[in-house]
Amino acid sequence: MKNKPAAKIRHVVAWINKAEWDQVLDYLYSKDAALQNYALQRISAWKGRFGHNTPVAVESTADLVRCQVLDSSGQLDSDDLVLLYGMALVRFVNLITERRQGRVAKPLRRLAGNMNIPEWIVNLRHDITHRRLPTLKWCRKGCAFVLQWLQQEYWSRQLGSRLSEDWDSESEEEEDEETWARRREEELLTQQKETENQKKARELLISYEKERFQMYEEWLKHGSPHGAWLEPSSDLSWTLKQIKLFATESREIFTDTLVQDGFLIPTQEQLESLDIDPIGCYDPLRPCVPRVFLQFWMPLLKGLNRVTFIRRVLEKLFAELSAEPDPHRSYYLSAWISEVVLCNSKSLLKVKKKSQMMELFVNRMQLGWQQLLTACLNSPCAATPYLLQLLLKDMDEPPPPDTQEKLLRLSSIYTQGEYHDTHGQPDPSKHVYTLQNLKEKLRRDGNSAHGLGPGSSLSNRSASSAQSLSNEDLQEKLSASVLEQRTAALRGSPWQVCTDKVPWKFYPLGKVPGQSEDPSCLMVETYSTVTVFDQQVELDKTPQHHMNPSIHSQNRTGSDGQLWSLAELNKLKSGLKLF
Amino acid sequence: MKAQKTSSQPKGTLRNGNKRAKNSKWHGHNKSLHADDPASARHEHGIASSGKPSMKPLKRQYAKAVSARTVSSLLPAGQKCKRLAAHTHSNGQAVSVSSSGDSETEDSQGWRAYAQSVLQNGMQTNAEAEESLPLEHLGEDIQPFLTQFDHVNNRTLMVMRPGQTLCFRGKCLLTCLYGRVEVLGFTIEEGQQPYPLYSPSSHCPLTITALADSSLSTKNRKEGRQEAKMVVRKYLSSVPRKHLLNEMDSDSCAILLEALDNPLTRFLTSQSPLKELFSLSSRELRADSAVDNSALSAVGVTALNSSGCPGLMTSRSYRDALHRLVRVWGDDDCDRCPVILVYGARNSGKSTFVRHLINSLLNHTTSVEYMECDVGQTEFTPPGCLSLSAVTEPLLGPPFTHQQEPRHMVYYGQADCQSDLDRYLDSLKSLWRHSSGDMPVIINTMGWVRGLGFQLLVDLVRFFSVTHVVQLSFGETSQCPALTPEFLRTAHGWQTHPPAPSALGQAELQEAPNSHVFLSIHSEFQGAGTSGEMRHQRSNELRDLSLMGYFSQMQSPDSSLVRPLHCFTPYQVPVSSVAIGVTHCEVAPSHILYAANASLVGLCCLDENVAGRGGPMLLSQTPICPCVGLGVLRGVDMVRGLYLLVTPVPPALLRRVNCLLLGEISLPKALLTTQSGVDGDLPYVTTDYSFELTGAGKLHVFKGLARPGFVKAK
Repeated sequence: MKNKPAAKIRHVVAWINKAEWDQVLDYLYSKDAALQNYALQRISAWKGRFGHNTPVAVESTADLVRCQVLDSSGQLDSDDLVLLYGMALVRFVNLITERRQGRVAKPLRRLAGNMNIPEWIVNLRHDITHRRLPTLKWCRKGCAFVLQWLQQEYWSRQLGSRLSEDWDSESEEEEDEETWARRREEELLTQQKETENQKKARELLISYEKERFQMYEEWLKHGSPHGAWLEPSSDLSWTLKQIKLFATESREIFTDTLVQDGFLIPTQEQLESLDIDPIGCYDPLRPCVPRVFLQFWMPLLKGLNRVTFIRRVLEKLFAELSAEPDPHRSYYLSAWISEVVLCNSKSLLKVKKKSQMMELFVNRMQLGWQQLLTACLNSPCAATPYLLQLLLKDMDEPPPPDTQEKLLRLSSIYTQGEYHDTHGQPDPSKHVYTLQNLKEKLRRDGNSAHGLGPGSSLSNRSASSAQSLSNEDLQEKLSASVLEQRTAALRGSPWQVCTDKVPWKFYPLGKVPGQSEDPSCLMVETYSTVTVFDQQVELDKTPQHHMNPSIHSQNRTGSDGQLWSLAELNKLKSGLKLF
Repeated sequence: MKAQKTSSQPKGTLRNGNKRAKNSKWHGHNKSLHADDPASARHEHGIASSGKPSMKPLKRQYAKAVSARTVSSLLPAGQKCKRLAAHTHSNGQAVSVSSSGDSETEDSQGWRAYAQSVLQNGMQTNAEAEESLPLEHLGEDIQPFLTQFDHVNNRTLMVMRPGQTLCFRGKCLLTCLYGRVEVLGFTIEEGQQPYPLYSPSSHCPLTITALADSSLSTKNRKEGRQEAKMVVRKYLSSVPRKHLLNEMDSDSCAILLEALDNPLTRFLTSQSPLKELFSLSSRELRADSAVDNSALSAVGVTALNSSGCPGLMTSRSYRDALHRLVRVWGDDDCDRCPVILVYGARNSGKSTFVRHLINSLLNHTTSVEYMECDVGQTEFTPPGCLSLSAVTEPLLGPPFTHQQEPRHMVYYGQADCQSDLDRYLDSLKSLWRHSSGDMPVIINTMGWVRGLGFQLLVDLVRFFSVTHVVQLSFGETSQCPALTPEFLRTAHGWQTHPPAPSALGQAELQEAPNSHVFLSIHSEFQGAGTSGEMRHQRSNELRDLSLMGYFSQMQSPDSSLVRPLHCFTPYQVPVSSVAIGVTHCEVAPSHILYAANASLVGLCCLDENVAGRGGPMLLSQTPICPCVGLGVLRGVDMVRGLYLLVTPVPPALLRRVNCLLLGEISLPKALLTTQSGVDGDLPYVTTDYSFELTGAGKLHVFKGLARPGFVKAK
């Protein structure tokens, strides 16, 4: 799992967007019974979505607001109201403290005290449950206080409101614990998996080495024609298959292991056992892998011959090189880079410098030259000018000659090597020794960056087209016959296949084309009621069109006559910054 | 195992037994192809209703005779014989029996042999389980897995010695090439179709056990060996098969394992939290249980050693009960089909036992009926559904791997039934009316066994005229009373009551013939009674998995691309043509679409026409009506007044739907939070909600606290 715990977790909530949340919050605390009623109705829909996951604070608020609405209607006696208030208050105190309860029941008073709920609220609750019912006045007071408390502690801090910056976090919630525990478990699992994979990679490579070495010994013994040990035996091909399988699954780990000492970077013993003179062809400026050692690894490299893999290996080699390893390691790292690049260029240029069996690539690969160039420059070593030269020679769209020359010169200056100009006379004006020269250089670099432009933009374009291709695939396209089949099967019923030309892939669940951001967009103006008796559906033959009582409030607060919709208003609000 | 049965059987049946058995076997599989078509399935029930449905013969001879099978397949389905003779060749002395007509029928011998094999296997597992660990290790060292990966065809051949087991994680397609193997009670023999096996980390790992071939004694060993080697030769190229050939004996089993990749596995593993669903569980990783075998891992199977995870642990009482129940079906003594109700507290192993039982029965019959009474952890359907299914295929994986269309279903809409006990019971009664009565019925119940939950169990036993009640319990004290016939005589249910005391004398007489057999199983597996706390083992995660499994049916079978739900072409229906209702709470009518949008809906069929004039049609109460499946209301077109719906339900069924029920079962969160390729914010998803604020979480109930009212009720 790459996501650090800091990454924000996506929660599923009951409101379609922040605007709906804000609307409900505004209406709940509006002191206008019609609006409050509207908010309560919306919360009933939220409860339908949330099910038993409805936040305690939302439920408590709704219960208490309901009491206020009924109270203000003036249709209930004070005794009725005390019972209503009583239930809402008891539930609030009990539910809100419930999570602070441990295995052993703690007194409510203490729990409430920790949450800034005053003692008189708890006493009110005790009165309602165990003693004489309090008066309506007390109930109203309690209700008002608790609603205010809820607004402060929950509503105004929720959903990234500005007030929320300074609360002292007390993480006790189950969801959090659950996700945290899960994440930890997952981390542990991936860790274990990784170490296991690393172990496996090492094992595979060691078994490869063993078999290769055995083949080498045999080859030496029999003195069979030169190169016979390059043909993989059946045992070896089995190992190779395994390696291949593993490398496709966990390429990263495999390449990481491959460039460790003892594999692509030979140890002294390995060199000795392969009869390689460690000093023999050692030229740190023009590194190359000893032939025998190259042959030793050739079957594996051939077996894994895929652009992604080779790229990854090159990247890894460069990355290791930039970590400034010891000379031995650095030599072999750069040597492998040069071999891979050479092999690739050779297959194009048909240079007969090396024997046929050395051929690593059948076809020339696109190795991502820009990145390689960058990587190469980022990991300077004695061989950098040489590698740079190889790369530049091999690039499909090389930078202009003078830029090349500059790069080479710069790198040789940096590595304090000698630059042998291939183009004869070096132009003294191009030496970067003075500030003036440097400025000039910068200017030209800017140019050369432009020169490189087309290549990079091309790759960008191809990437984006690949993206759109996969997106196109994502959208289900019903073939004509399937569509016909479905249509035929549905004929005569009210159901249809939606044949609108809609790019559904752009519309998430819960959104359709033309849907406004306004939180009132899903309100139903007319509806009919269906009654089912014993599997029998009794329909109102003349459906009564209940006028939705909240429509009035809707009209009052709706978008007509207002400059901005609530969604827009919300955006404006969130865009505002107070200094 | 009654001797007198022979007399009732015509000679002709005996003679033709062999042929018919083949037919039946073929037929059984053929039927499975049509299993998704309820109409044809019902048609066949009609045909078979004259007696017990035919049985699956455990016979290798039949299976091998491919040509004969093809011929017999031409026989009309109606000729399917109801009783199968000619089980004989597999049972030792069999040959003489079939020719001379011994007093015992071949059938009953088959049963005995099977029963014995169950016992033997049981004892084997028992021995393995009870032996000390070092010995087990020793055993494993002696028997390494003989496997060979076939690079060309990308599959693995494995040779197993009789009694050898392979307990594994992962998924694969298993074909038995030679001999017989058993997986969770189901016997797979050569010549049978490939079976998909799923062993994800969410459940107890599956074990493949090689069975000893009972026909060995009559068979020429040498001949057998030759034959076995032929099989290996056929499936492997020359070089690598050598070491397998050397080990292959006439009593070995050879199985072919292939990698399994289907829409279900692709859809599940495309969800990032489920990526490792088919790998080892964290406990197994910690215990380092994986056995390195590259040929097995090449096809997606990780073998487990016994140190960390012993696979399915069966207790003595478990095996006895299983053995007894399987024998009942072979016993002619019972005058009606067994109706088996399984109950027990949560995590007592009910579901696993039920799967094991169904698989064992499917060795002998083509179809078993399954009644789902557990709304929370459903076997064949998404959660929240009560259903009646005909099971024709073995259950070789957890529920989410075999989501299938039940014959009848009612959408209850919640993961527990506590909010409306009457609707729960009435729904079940309406389903029970469709039970065919000529197949064994298995009833799985909820883990709610206290108080009212127990009263519901009493009702169920009475309603369904249960013949066998199986109780699973664990630990020192049993979690609830035993539902013995005596207990039922005085027990009060939620809807049913014991006969009045005045009529007690009569009632005893009446109830005596109907009374059932009570079997008690004591679960002894590790962690019995404690809910799974590991990944994918929590009940809500299992529900999500079931839903994912259900919606994976929408994925195209041939494309490797995994489509998120929002990318499918929706169906549309006018809001005034279908009724809409909420099962679990009251929603203000004018705000109903706020509850419905982007929600999971049960697609139900009311008897009456629903047609209004514009505007949604709201149900005043929750109906009990057939449900054909679930869908996601992907949006509402307010301008044109259309519901837009995506669902895997085929259009031929969808056309009947005129009622959408909203329940408390919600879409897996991952399906809403990871909708790729979408512009702008995702509806109903936020990263800003803070659970750290007081009151931000759901209602929290401490589970340890028993409710005094419920405890008294028993």
